[in-house]
Amino acid sequence: MPPIRDKFAIHSKAVVCQDVELKGDITIGSGTILHPKATIFAIAGPIVIGANCIIEEAAIIVNRRKEVMRIGDDNLFEIGCRVESPSVGNFNTVSTRARVHHTVRISSYCFVGAGCLVVPTDDEVLDEYTVIYGPSAERRVWSGRGRVQETDLRRKHAEYLRETLPKFNRLRRGEGHGYGA
Amino acid sequence: MTPTIYYHCPCLSTDSIPPPPNSPSSSYSFHPLHELFFFSGYHCPNCLFEVPSASVRAEKNRCARNCFMCPNCRNTLSVVPSDPPDADDLRSLASNMSTVGGPPFFLYCNYCRWDSTEVDITFEKPTGLAAQLQKFEDAAPESLEFERLKEHFEPFLRASSSSGLSGHLQAAHSHTTHINPITAAASSALAREISGVAKYTPAPRGRRDKGSRDEISEYRSRVEVAGTKDASNVDFMRRLEDVSQVAALAQRWTNSWTMTLHSSDLRPLRIPLHSKKTKRCPTCRHILIKPEQKAHHDSARQHGAGNRQAAVEDTSGASGLHAGGTYPFQLALTNPLYDPIQVRLAVQRQIPPPSSSAPDGSPEKARRPPFAVSLPQSAFPVAAFAEAWEYEDDEDMFGGGDDELDWIGNGKTIGVLERRANVTVVGGEVVIGRDAKGPVKFNMLVSYTYRSDDPLGDEDVRTTPSRKDKVPDMKTFTFYTVVDLGDEIIPRFS
Repeated sequence: MPPIRDKFAIHSKAVVCQDVELKGDITIGSGTILHPKATIFAIAGPIVIGANCIIEEAAIIVNRRKEVMRIGDDNLFEIGCRVESPSVGNFNTVSTRARVHHTVRISSYCFVGAGCLVVPTDDEVLDEYTVIYGPSAERRVWSGRGRVQETDLRRKHAEYLRETLPKFNRLRRGEGHGYGA
Repeated sequence: MTPTIYYHCPCLSTDSIPPPPNSPSSSYSFHPLHELFFFSGYHCPNCLFEVPSASVRAEKNRCARNCFMCPNCRNTLSVVPSDPPDADDLRSLASNMSTVGGPPFFLYCNYCRWDSTEVDITFEKPTGLAAQLQKFEDAAPESLEFERLKEHFEPFLRASSSSGLSGHLQAAHSHTTHINPITAAASSALAREISGVAKYTPAPRGRRDKGSRDEISEYRSRVEVAGTKDASNVDFMRRLEDVSQVAALAQRWTNSWTMTLHSSDLRPLRIPLHSKKTKRCPTCRHILIKPEQKAHHDSARQHGAGNRQAAVEDTSGASGLHAGGTYPFQLALTNPLYDPIQVRLAVQRQIPPPSSSAPDGSPEKARRPPFAVSLPQSAFPVAAFAEAWEYEDDEDMFGGGDDELDWIGNGKTIGVLERRANVTVVGGEVVIGRDAKGPVKFNMLVSYTYRSDDPLGDEDVRTTPSRKDKVPDMKTFTFYTVVDLGDEIIPRFS
């Protein structure tokens, strides 16, 4: 297996703390926040993360497939979650300690509850507004009521973190500090 | 096998001295601590509001405030405002548009994202939801049925309660010739359920005077429930496409009325109340274990005179208890009171059962107890209970060094081992005889003494010198426990 070559393209407006483990070909969009102790492993293929995402502590984002793993905008990956899904849309929430397998593709506005294991054996796509909850990962579809308030909350969350995190954590500077105006 | 400790409550048995622990019938005299509880109060598990017992009945055992249970996942619902209108275009959020939601408010489950608009429940105000839902609840079939039942039985209840007092006193002498219909109904129901129990008839004393046996008229329910709905249910099930359309049993059984099987018909329920438990000594009515004043999630602290938790840790090692060996063990005694106490432990002397299998053996051998337990002889103190924040350093809470150890017996094993916060760990030793068999269990008498101030002692005596001096007295309490060190003795084959 060829050695993993690190190539980071981090937007200048992204907030990436120093303690983050990055490996492989990673692109991080504008306004995205990586808390300390987050882990992003682009082992086999590259990972592209969109804008204004929040990746909390101990979250693991792994790409073990050769294809590009694309993560959209405004997603929230809570503490301890593990995501290997090859494609993630916008405004999703993966809650604490949840796991999403590489067979699942997440669209937008989905919510994976805390501790849920989304590990189907066959490939599948989660429709928009899917909610996964409960210890046995039951599913239902959210009506979408209240999404405006939730998107607003997400934006405010990200904005607050962008202001406050750099005050208390060292930020990663240096190589690969790439693009962005 | 883990070691256990059970408590002997003299109120629940006839003898104040507990029976020897190894006999088979004595397990009824000893109880684990959590079994010694009686009920005390009601509170809502969500808002932790203490509901006075009077209004519990009125509110039908549910929380009267804004606490509702999601019918889908049975978590708590929260009241949220709806999205502001014409905010569908997310790009317009970039401009300074307020995204504060407004009425109508609805119930929303944070966990599964169910909301009450699916069953058309919305509110104009976010507070006082119970009042807003009152109309719907009163029109529910179970309320109407219950009201009818109450009306039907009301005259008989009134009659029975007025004669209830006298009837109760006379019941012991079986002079009662008047059976009120409630008793008659109850006794016939019991006879129906349990075969062999005869219906209660009072000792016939000639003619019943006054012919005072009332008859309850037949009750007719409001709705005939005899299976008319089943045809539609069967039809629904036949045409089922997706299992999630059917309401699961767990979602339906908290309701007092039969519900439709459609999961789309599930409504939010008011949260049922939980009860708190206490124990009152039946002899002297003193509260032994009192739950926290404010409902704290699942905590009951032992308060006042009475039992203490004692946890036993067996440190005899993984190999088990061998006959002929000597093993140390530790007892951790926890003091729930706000005063420090002095504890004295004593092992109850056991008279071992006469062994019938040694007819020619020496009688002393038969009477030798199978094991000898050594515990610290003198009294040792256990500090008072204090909340965690009252300790300035962690050391005070988690125990300092081994000062004031009691050296008795073989060096360090017997005596006070550790003292931290309100827990004192004492060590004991058990010497197992060569011919011993069976589990190692012994009765232990625990007596503790503390100086208590008068229960009203919160007043400042300095400012009211005219009051009589309240002399704090020493109170002593004793109780028996049985300590089971868990393992069976491994006999020695020599």
